Parts: sequence; structure tokens; C-alpha cells
Amino acid sequence: MISLGLRILLIAIIGAILAGVTCSIIGVFVVRLKISSIGYAMSHAAFAGAALGLLLDIDPLLIALLFSFIVALLIGPISDRSNLSPEVILGIIFSLNIALAFIFLSLLPTTAASISALSILWGSILTITIDDLTYLSILTTIMISAIVLFFKEFYAILFNRKLAEADGINTKPFYYAILFMAGATVSFSLKIIGGLLVFALIVNPPSTIMQFSYDMKKIIVLSPILGAITCLIGFLLSLITDFPVGSSIVIVSSLLFAISVVVSPKRRVIVQH
Amino acid sequence: MEYIVELKNVSSSYLGEAYPAIRDITLMVKKGDFISIIGPNGAGKTTLLETIIGLIPIVRGKIRIFDKELQKDGILIRRKIGYVPQTFSIDEHSPFIVKDVVLMGRFGKIGMLNSPSKRDLELVNEFLQLLDIYHLKDRPIGKLSGGQQQRVLIARALAKEPELMLLDEPFSAIDPLFRKEFIKKFVEIHKKFDLTTIMVTHDLGSIPEICSKIYVMRGGRIVEELKVEEVENFRERKGVLNDLPRT
Ligand SMILES: Nc1ncnc2c1ncn2[C@@H]1O[C@H](COP(=O)(O)OP(=O)(O)O)[C@@H](O)[C@H]1O
Ligand SMILES: [Mg+2]
Repeated sequence: MISLGLRILLIAIIGAILAGVTCSIIGVFVVRLKISSIGYAMSHAAFAGAALGLLLDIDPLLIALLFSFIVALLIGPISDRSNLSPEVILGIIFSLNIALAFIFLSLLPTTAASISALSILWGSILTITIDDLTYLSILTTIMISAIVLFFKEFYAILFNRKLAEADGINTKPFYYAILFMAGATVSFSLKIIGGLLVFALIVNPPSTIMQFSYDMKKIIVLSPILGAITCLIGFLLSLITDFPVGSSIVIVSSLLFAISVVVSPKRRVIVQH
Repeated sequence: MEYIVELKNVSSSYLGEAYPAIRDITLMVKKGDFISIIGPNGAGKTTLLETIIGLIPIVRGKIRIFDKELQKDGILIRRKIGYVPQTFSIDEHSPFIVKDVVLMGRFGKIGMLNSPSKRDLELVNEFLQLLDIYHLKDRPIGKLSGGQQQRVLIARALAKEPELMLLDEPFSAIDPLFRKEFIKKFVEIHKKFDLTTIMVTHDLGSIPEICSKIYVMRGGRIVEELKVEEVENFRERKGVLNDLPRT
């Protein structure tokens, strides 16, 4: 029989590792396709959703998930239809959700309720449940399987979407799937790392690996591994220092990125010339 | 099948644009033809190639390729067309290796859920060698010169084993000293693989002898049709490259 404390700790550690893997693998796509605003946009959609949930007295996390799913589904089609880059659409969605969140919060009866909506933005890893873990594992499994099964298609789109289309790949469903998976990843990581900081976990590990490799295949494999390690170290750091988990993870990943920039062979070559 | 490419009164326009970028284009290309398209900047040459490959929606007219309707069987048709785009900015840090980029050309053909076979990899090597870039196969593509990148993109298009090649100013970044030689090589490739080729060029000197027809485009229309023998004449008539693009 393991003690309750250990059990909570184990769940938290597994959750952190899973979040690290999912965020960093989708991060490769986010960095390469230059859609990093998806981090803010999704977390604030979740924030607005949580506020609405509190207002309607429905589970805030549920509405948060619903909001971010809707956003995830809309980004691709809207940016295609409007002929604007997803970054622009994300910016519009981001501010719209902030506006909605403020309206919902102002309608809430007490400040205490608003604070609990804010917790979506901070995350609370020690409160994750077995259910949360199950959802996250399902997401991780689906995502990795999709990327492995359709590796060629995703890979070609990462190189150049137009050329991939010219080669006879129907890029639209794959491109939308990338945007949707990115959105879902953010939603599912909210409780673990928090909406504000999840961004760092998406962008930092792939960017770190990219300092060392020019080979997209290696980057796709190594980024999630680094993401998992980052989360693990960050979690331990927070246990030792009592810093919030999300912040610790971000600090570790930023540190790793900084080191990689300094020691990157890509830069050494330039110095030698 | 008599014609590989049939365009009848085709107009096409970019998404969201009010006016078509090419207008009323009729173009019939037979199997084995080598067609050149010339014309000033903005004439619609790139648009024409992208319309043929189905990347730009047509607003009028009809396109049949390989005896199939482009709007219905676009994906199947695209799998048999090798396309070498014009401006293709590959950023310096692009994390893709040359041999993988060439292999990508075969992805459509390999098909969803299948892995590349040994033959696929052999073909990649074959075309890398053919274009004299085999020694670059393990380099990141962003680190190559413009001319080398063009060769990679040509190898990528050929690796597809296409029936139709669409080339958009494919020799523009290749050193003028080697250009003649390279064009000769491409003509050999065209013959060896029974290709049908449509090539856009701004360099009248790079139109090969075997070219079956030359179309001059301006303002989104085909305004003139020349034979290879008439190119010199055309050049004089227009003043040396005076009216032609300098891209
Ligand atoms: N992405 C685009 N969206 C809208 N219009 C475009 C786009 N690309 C080109 N055009 C317009 O289409 C016309 C033809 O361009 P293009 O086919 O690139 O000419 P060329 O290749 O002959 O230099 C030009 O008027 C150009 O401004
Ligand atoms: Mg052009």
C-alpha cells in the first residue's frame, strides 16, 4: 500500500512527464509553422471558459476545455477562409476571449469566484486526478500514433505546405489536425502547468533541440524526450524550493535553452569563419 | 490519349482577388512536347503553372490533364506532375536534409500509411547523382547555394517519376557559365524519361533547340506563339530583352 502523499506525488510526476512529451512534440510543429501565439490564445480561451463555467455553476474545467476545443477547431478554417495567417486569427481570438472573460468575471457575485477562474491560468499539479491522467495519456497516445502513422504527410507539410499539396498530398486535414492537436494539448496541460506557462513548454524544448540539429526527423524524436526531462527536473526543483511547479518547469526549460544557445555548434561554426 | 495537357479558355484567380490573374488561356500540350513560356514580370507565367497543377482555382474554362478532369481528380493528377517552383525561399536554418527533401517528392506516390521502400531510396540516390548533388546528400538544404537548392528541387520533382514536368525559371540561380551545360543535361533527362515539359523562363538563351513551341505571355494572356527559329528574330524585334523580365 503506498501512502496518499506518495500517490499524489506519483500522479503528479507522471502527469508532468506526459505534459512534457505532448507539449514538446506539438511544439516542433508550432515552432516550425510559426504559430506560437496558439499558447496564449488557447489558455485564454480556457480562462474565458472557466469564468463562464463559474457563472453558470458548471464545472469550470469542463467549460474551459469546451472553449479551447472550439477555438482549436476554428483556427484552421478561419485562417484559410480569410486568407490570413493563423497568427493573426490567434491574435483576434485571444483578445475576444479576454473580453469575454472580463464580462463573465464582472458578472460573478464574489471575488473568490474570480480567483478560482484565475487558477486555470496558474495550474495546480498536485490536484490532478487519475482521470486527468487518463485523458492526458489518451491524448498523448492519439497524437503520437497520428504523427507516426502519417509521418510522411506531416513531414512534407513542415517542409512546405504548398509543395506538399503540389505533390498530391491533401494537406488541409493534416494542417487542421496540427492546429487542433496544439489546441487540445494546451487545454489538457492547463491543470498541470497552467495556461500562462504552457507556452514555454511548447516552444522551449524544440527550440533547444533545433540549436543542435538540422534534421527534422531527429528534432521530432528528441524534443519530447527533452520536454519530459525538463518537466521532471522542474517538478523536483519545485519540491526542493517550494516554487510553483509551472514556474519551476519554465525556469528549467529556459535555462536549458540558454545553455543550448551558448554551446550550439551552429554558432561555433559562425565564430570560426 | 492525344494531349497530356488541355486548357480551354481558362481564367483563374487567386483566392480573394476580384480579377483573374490569367485570362482565356487555351493551351494544348502533346506527350513528349517541350514547351517554353516567356513574358515580362507579372505576366501570369507562375500563375499558369500553378493553375495547371491545381493550386489556383479556375473561374472559367476547363482543364484536363492526363485525360482526367483536374477539378475532380486533382490529387491523382498531382502525383504524376513534377513541379519545380520559382521563388522558394528556404531559410538558412531550415531543418531538412537534402536526401530527405528529394525523398519527399515520392511521398504522394508511396501513399498514405506506407513506408518508403528500398527502391524509393535507390531512386533518390539515382537522381542525386544525375544532378551532380550526391555529395551534398547529407547537408541541410538551407546551407546550400541557390543554384544547388534548385538542383535539389529538380531532383525532388524527378524522383516522383512524373509524366509531366512544370519548371518555373529553374535555371535562374544556376551560374550562367554552367547554365548551357545544365540545360543540355535537362534536355537529356526530358528525352530519357519520356517527359512532357512546360518550362517558364526569362532567359531566351536557355530555350533549348528541341523546344516544340514558345508562348509569349503578357497581362495574363498568351499573346504570341513562336518557334525556336523565331527566337532570335523576336529578340531583335523587341530590342534585346528590353520588354522581357529581368527577374
Ligand atoms: N499570391 C497572390 N495573390 C494575388 N495575386 C497574385 C499572387 N501572386 C501573383 N499575383 C498576381 O498575379 C499576376 C501574375 O503573377 P505571376 O504569375 O507571378 O507572374 P510571372 O510569374 O509571370 O512573373 C500578377 O499581377 C501578380 O500581381
Ligand atoms: Mg513567376
